[in-house]
Amino acid sequence: MSQTGLQIDDLRVSVAETEILRGIDLTVERGRVHALMGPNGSGKSTLAFAMTGHPNYTVTGGSVTLDGEELLGLSPDKRAKAGLFLSFQYPAAIPGVTVANFLRSARQSVRGGDLTPAKFRQLVFEKLDLLNMDTAFLGRYVNDGFSGGEKKRLEMLQLAILAPKYAVLDETDSGLDVDALAAVGTSLRALRESDDGKNTGFLIITHYPRILQHVPADVVHVMMEGRIVKSGGPELANEIEREGYDKIREEVLGGVG
Amino acid sequence: MASVSPTLPIGASRETLDATLARSGEGAISRAARYAALEEFASLAPPRAPQGRFWRYDYAKLDFAQLKPSVPSVALRGETQRGVTAVPFSNAAAQGGEAFANAFRTVFGPLDTRFAALAFAFQNTGTFIHVAAGSVVDDPIVVRYEVAEGDAFPYTLVSLGEGARATVVEEFTGPSQGVICGITEIVLDARASLHYAGVQQSSSQSHVFFTRRTRCGAGSSLHVALAELGSALTYTTLHAALAQPDANVEITSLFFNTGDQHIDLTSGVDHLIGPTHSQTVVKSVATGRGQGRYLGNIAIRPGAHGAEASLRDDALLLSKEAHIDSIPALEIASNDVKAFHGATVGSIDEEELFYVTSRGIARGEAERMIALGFFEPALERFPGEALRARIRAALESKLE
Repeated sequence: MSQTGLQIDDLRVSVAETEILRGIDLTVERGRVHALMGPNGSGKSTLAFAMTGHPNYTVTGGSVTLDGEELLGLSPDKRAKAGLFLSFQYPAAIPGVTVANFLRSARQSVRGGDLTPAKFRQLVFEKLDLLNMDTAFLGRYVNDGFSGGEKKRLEMLQLAILAPKYAVLDETDSGLDVDALAAVGTSLRALRESDDGKNTGFLIITHYPRILQHVPADVVHVMMEGRIVKSGGPELANEIEREGYDKIREEVLGGVG
Repeated sequence: MASVSPTLPIGASRETLDATLARSGEGAISRAARYAALEEFASLAPPRAPQGRFWRYDYAKLDFAQLKPSVPSVALRGETQRGVTAVPFSNAAAQGGEAFANAFRTVFGPLDTRFAALAFAFQNTGTFIHVAAGSVVDDPIVVRYEVAEGDAFPYTLVSLGEGARATVVEEFTGPSQGVICGITEIVLDARASLHYAGVQQSSSQSHVFFTRRTRCGAGSSLHVALAELGSALTYTTLHAALAQPDANVEITSLFFNTGDQHIDLTSGVDHLIGPTHSQTVVKSVATGRGQGRYLGNIAIRPGAHGAEASLRDDALLLSKEAHIDSIPALEIASNDVKAFHGATVGSIDEEELFYVTSRGIARGEAERMIALGFFEPALERFPGEALRARIRAALESKLE
């Protein structure tokens, strides 16, 4: 068994006694982009929350290891310290806490104060620049009164500052208009192409192949009814774009009716 | 105040007052007025205590018989600025001249609460601050009472002449385990603008009873911000009467009960005529066995057309035994007015906590961060970054 990678083995997860994930196997390697696609309700976000340790998701079996370290059983903060990052579909607002303070606390927690205040400032300004974001973001309260697009861009900024080993992006492209989607897509590409980004393993969860035009996937997985039913190369995303999920559903779950 | 007795042994208190007057003289408040106030104290009903399961104090049973009046040290800053008069209250009648005579006791009709009457009778320290008409004072005028021992009875009178602008900060600190029973009276002439902050950080063994009353002239603007951080028990009332057109008052209050601190805060705005404006924001947090109550009263009287009032009051509970009652009361007796009210009481949202912890921040630290952030909309309304930073630091250290 490999000791590197974000490795999910036979993961089973329930929410309020209902089994949502029914045995997921998936390994994301550093520096590679995996896309996890699937229709609404297939369990994609459940996978993201279960991996990061949301208290409402009960793991009933399997394991999730990060470069060999078991994550299940660790509190969410310890998983982040191990090198895991989740970009939320619906990030919570933290009124009264400025983005600047939040970024500083997060970086300090994850990296143990590796940067002097001056170096940290420099890093923040570099990343704002990389993501083409305004410095005014820093003085605002975390996600408080943010538009959908602004929330997603703040997630990208946190990803850039924390430079995790593995990043799970939960529907970063959902609920955005065309312009916001383009801005987030551009940010994501810039991140992916940065020095840190080249070393990060990405698991991009999405309904739509659109975002993969900005960040091409090395591997595409399709999830249905709590299982990964098909994996393939980037062409699989194109196939979904052309034909939707119905054909795959017939292929793998079909013959039922 | 360790022991309690059902009624005030008035004789003992009279003796204390006799002794106090014999020692330090009557000062700005006449002997007769003090004895009258003491009688009012005895006749006024004590406020009703909150009903909370863990609330420990019964106001009817507080024993003031053994008061040991002691004069605190008073430090002033910013008093030498042009247009500012700041003198000890004891000399205010002599040195404050006409300005003092025009302002003193013009807010109070009769002493309307038991604790105001007590403060008035025993007043033994205080400051009269006057800003002359038209003066714009840049730096805050700071008066700091440090109560080292015994019981203190401060009286702070702030008056701003027509069109004057100033910031006044009143602070209470010190290790005394006694009573701090005080009055702050604020009088604004037409178009005056005052930022007033009251910051209470007295010993965790002390008992604080404070009465604040204001009178706002036409077109004047008053910002009052209160931070109640110390004491075992604080009972404080703030009342603003808006009886002149275009008078504006903004009230901000924050309190944070830790250990088994009890804080009982009342604010009231009375829109007697229109157009007048008020905006009240209260943020309170309790942890441990901290107990709190906030009574927010807004009255818009008949004929106060064009009055606008808002009241926003949020309480955050960080432990199972902590408790805050939030009791807003809006009484609207006039048409074409705008009144808004919103209140929440709750614990920290789990989704917020998960979000913060998912960024590597440990749960305890995440709770601290969210709780401090909760105060921020109130903190923002305190005057001056230095003061805000100091209050923020005090809140932080209470969270540790």
